[in-house]
Amino acid sequence: MANTRRDSVTGALMMVPASIVILLLVVVPMVIIARDSFAISDPLGGNLGGFTLDNYAKLLDPVYGKTIGYSLGMAVLNAIVCTIVGYVVAYYIATRPARRQPVLLLLVIIPFLTDFLVRTFSWITLLGSGGPIIGIAKALGIPATSLVPSQTAVVLSLLYAFLPVAVFPIYASMRAIDPSLREAAADLGAGWWQTHARVFVPLSASGLASSVMLTFVPTLGVFVIPVLLGGGKDPLVGNLIVTLFTEFRNEPLGAALSMVVLVLMLASVALAGLVTRLVSRGARRSARSERSA
Amino acid sequence: MDRVVAWFSRLIFVFLYLPIVALVVYSLNASEVSYRWEGVSLRWYVELFADRLLLETLRTSLIVGLVSALLATALGFLSSTALVRFRVKGRGVFLGAILIPLIVPEIVLGVSLLTVFSTAGIPTGFVTLILGHTVITLPLATLVQMGAMSSLDPSLPEAAADLGAGAWTTFRRVTFPLLRPAVLAAFLLSFATSFGNIVISTFTSGVGTTTLPLRIYSQLKSGLTPELNALGTLLVLLTLAIILVVGVGQLRRILAGGPASQ
Amino acid sequence: MKSKALAAVGVTVAAALALTGCSAAGGSSSGDSTKLHIYAWSGEIPDSVIKGFEKETGITVTVDNFDSNETMISKLAAGNSGYDIVEPSQYAVPLMVERDLLAKVDKSKLDGFDNLAEKFVDPSFDPDNGYSIPWAWGTTGILYNEACTGAPVTGWKDLWNEKYKGKIYMLDNMLSAYIGGMQVEGLSATSTKKADIEKGTQALLDQKPLLAGYNSDNYADLVATGDACIAEAYSGTSSAKAVAANPDVHYILPEEGGTLWTDSFSIVKGTANESAAYKWLNYTLQPEVAALLTDDASLASTNQAALELVKDQTQVTNPAIYAPADSLDNAEFIVDPGKALAYYQDGWTRVRAS
Repeated sequence: MANTRRDSVTGALMMVPASIVILLLVVVPMVIIARDSFAISDPLGGNLGGFTLDNYAKLLDPVYGKTIGYSLGMAVLNAIVCTIVGYVVAYYIATRPARRQPVLLLLVIIPFLTDFLVRTFSWITLLGSGGPIIGIAKALGIPATSLVPSQTAVVLSLLYAFLPVAVFPIYASMRAIDPSLREAAADLGAGWWQTHARVFVPLSASGLASSVMLTFVPTLGVFVIPVLLGGGKDPLVGNLIVTLFTEFRNEPLGAALSMVVLVLMLASVALAGLVTRLVSRGARRSARSERSA
Repeated sequence: MDRVVAWFSRLIFVFLYLPIVALVVYSLNASEVSYRWEGVSLRWYVELFADRLLLETLRTSLIVGLVSALLATALGFLSSTALVRFRVKGRGVFLGAILIPLIVPEIVLGVSLLTVFSTAGIPTGFVTLILGHTVITLPLATLVQMGAMSSLDPSLPEAAADLGAGAWTTFRRVTFPLLRPAVLAAFLLSFATSFGNIVISTFTSGVGTTTLPLRIYSQLKSGLTPELNALGTLLVLLTLAIILVVGVGQLRRILAGGPASQ
Repeated sequence: MKSKALAAVGVTVAAALALTGCSAAGGSSSGDSTKLHIYAWSGEIPDSVIKGFEKETGITVTVDNFDSNETMISKLAAGNSGYDIVEPSQYAVPLMVERDLLAKVDKSKLDGFDNLAEKFVDPSFDPDNGYSIPWAWGTTGILYNEACTGAPVTGWKDLWNEKYKGKIYMLDNMLSAYIGGMQVEGLSATSTKKADIEKGTQALLDQKPLLAGYNSDNYADLVATGDACIAEAYSGTSSAKAVAANPDVHYILPEEGGTLWTDSFSIVKGTANESAAYKWLNYTLQPEVAALLTDDASLASTNQAALELVKDQTQVTNPAIYAPADSLDNAEFIVDPGKALAYYQDGWTRVRAS
């Protein structure tokens, strides 16, 4: 791709609006949070300024490590489940006739026009002991008790909440794949798995990476689902931070915990990005050479 | 194998609509509690239309959702074009920064945004709500569109350029049509995210700008009322109706486009 | 097609901006007293009260809801919130006074203050009602399903009963959970002694394996459906709804002691609509208005004169709404533990992560 001087000026100009928003409304708030994480906390709430490392020292308590570890595990699980399901659904939509694709895409998003809590309560009633699922199981003679609260309910509910952010980026990048590639692969006698392994997965790698990021990262901030569907006995980091900011009135400690989460997450995203870039670069090369063959 | 994919996907659609179907049923339940059936009634629909405050929050949510999704999609389109097509430097830093709103628990971002707005003297209200929602939807809109742009075969615009098309014509006739599905996907995702947000809204809303999810969340303490089931039902049915009656042709044109390959 | 789509987008944005502009302009003209902005708990101000006030005074009311005292405090602390009246819980009042967020109530401008029940006059959390006029009150007790427990429940110890393992819920709130944890050990729920709090923490740690979970949201539904046998609960709307929906469900104040909560109206410091704010306080002090809180929201009113005006008198004798007077003899308001908060926090963090 020619990268002329004019291109780079245009490119730089196009970055300006988003950069301003990010600078003022993301970077500046983060600087405030970083600053607060070193502040002395006021027992009445808010902070007294000053400088202390106490907040970070407090985080060395193993209870925080335990919650972070559990949350990371849930985040990985959620990213895997959502991305696999999202990939299948995105592939299904992308291979329908072009005129039906927009409708299917909208069908994925329409349930999200109903409020999250209203939907969650609908689930609770469906899965509860008085609900139809348990009713059917009992009628069939299967001994069943309420599925809420349970870890299964949490995982299902996370899948429900995050499915669109998995489907959409994967679909978007699959749609942009030249359809002739798929035909070419079929012509060359590549089987289903092979076509996916050599064409679809590599070429939608950036969509898959987006999906992983969008489902992995925000899991740490989830705080309603663990309480309503998981019984609230195993809090995620998100619950803990909400507690620190509200009930505990300890913004500095909450800020410190947020900084730790932020650094952990940015590091894992950077690592994941590096891996995807290497994989997709290799795949793109092989796909291109296959096509020219 | 494609058949397995098709069946699995249909199953997922059932999964997506199961609680919605339940919602429709509950909305017609005369009982005040969803776990007991007391016969069919339109009682909750009547109460919904009498609930002025609830309908006002719906209006607020729609405005904030539309404006912030438009902003996020446009900003995301510009920056992903710059990063992917023009290979502007600093991609790593930009991506890192844009991901922060996804990583930082919303309450943290919300509290610090409130500090920023109050320091800048901007009173909380529509402006702060829209800005707050733009910040959290921007990463979605950008990542979706970047994904599509990276998958775009770079030889297509090159071929167009070789055929003598100018940069603008190439963009308008070749690149953009290929990206339209991604732009729509980004917009829808942003809108849905904004429309459902609770925490950022808590800290950026002001007098008279309570959003629908905020109102519902605050009701948890006293119990959600069944009129919310009626509202959810109406929103879903209305959207389905709009798509079926007006939208399909239009949507088809937006999405089905694309260059010679289609 | 493209121009049509563009036009549609343009119209949407223009309409949205116009609406935004309108509201922004509306919000800034706050000097007059024809408007009143209230920030309150959801479901604690019935529509009938707002409509009646608007009709009587000609003042337009907007009500926004918060989900926790802390959210409300941080919005107010950021300054320039635009609210005139807020509805803090009892423990939040001294915190807000300390942070200079509330205006002193001028008693000479009040009419009907003597309608308040004795408990709420000069309360421990706000001497001489300097900054708060109590509006709604309730208790923290136990909601249980007798079909599931098989026997009447009398106290906190039943929340530690192995028999109900996996069917017990505690409130997902530190100070509320400690009410049970402290009182089951025979300690004061508002103790600030480190050793006491340590005992309470141990009780909560011992209890955790028995719990189905911590829940402050839909515990009443769970008890009513039988998904839960017994739960720590607040009296008021949702408990009353569960009791009404299922004759097996009962709400009791535990024999080990009782605790009270109350949500009050306070005037925000620096309000632009002070006269409207006083009109609101006076309007809600009227017994016939206060009675609507019980009629329309199933909440207990702090207004003694209102009790006999409640239309459905069974509400006044329903313990899930009004706790019986004799069970309140030893009841105390849950107040902020001040410096001891740190002990509670350390304990609660350990309980939650265990």
